[in-house]
Amino acid sequence: MKTIDVVVSPVGATRVETNGFTGDQCRQASAFLEQALGLSQNERLKADFYKTEVRDQQQAQQSS
Amino acid sequence: MSHVVQIKTQVRDAAAVRAGCFRLGLDEPVEGELKLFSETVRGLGVQLRDWRYPVVFDLTTGESKYDNYQGRWGRQGRLDEFLQAYAVEKTKIEARRKGYSVAEHRLADGSIKVSLTVGGAS
Repeated sequence: MKTIDVVVSPVGATRVETNGFTGDQCRQASAFLEQALGLSQNERLKADFYKTEVRDQQQAQQSS
Repeated sequence: MSHVVQIKTQVRDAAAVRAGCFRLGLDEPVEGELKLFSETVRGLGVQLRDWRYPVVFDLTTGESKYDNYQGRWGRQGRLDEFLQAYAVEKTKIEARRKGYSVAEHRLADGSIKVSLTVGGAS
């Protein structure tokens, strides 16, 4: 299941986390929220993001 | 989980401001010229609980103006509380616009978690 968790701190700062997306899909999925809520301050890519990207690249190389 | 983004909340949506006020039991926000202690500013004003003057949001820039005299005329915590309510309501408005289901939970540290379910199993 694909979910987006938005955690709003007691001082109003927001953290957006995507779950269940592959590779760059997560960025596209949460972009509307990031734009709507305010100014993105920093982004941290999780291990899953890189694993998927590497696998995609390997598949592309094998098929070429 | 594949990425995490930190966002500084900017108040730009009048509907979410109204929803935030309703959530906290505040009066409806007021649009127009609003008086602070030493100046008059234009925008959408929110009268926070126990604050002498309103907080006025410029929805175009996302900036806010207020004069709480370093806490003597209104505690910062009340503004923080409003920003939290705004961000939660704005998230819910945007999620519903996309057709996503929404669930809200209050966490032990006072944070509020809004979970959006995007679609079926990937």
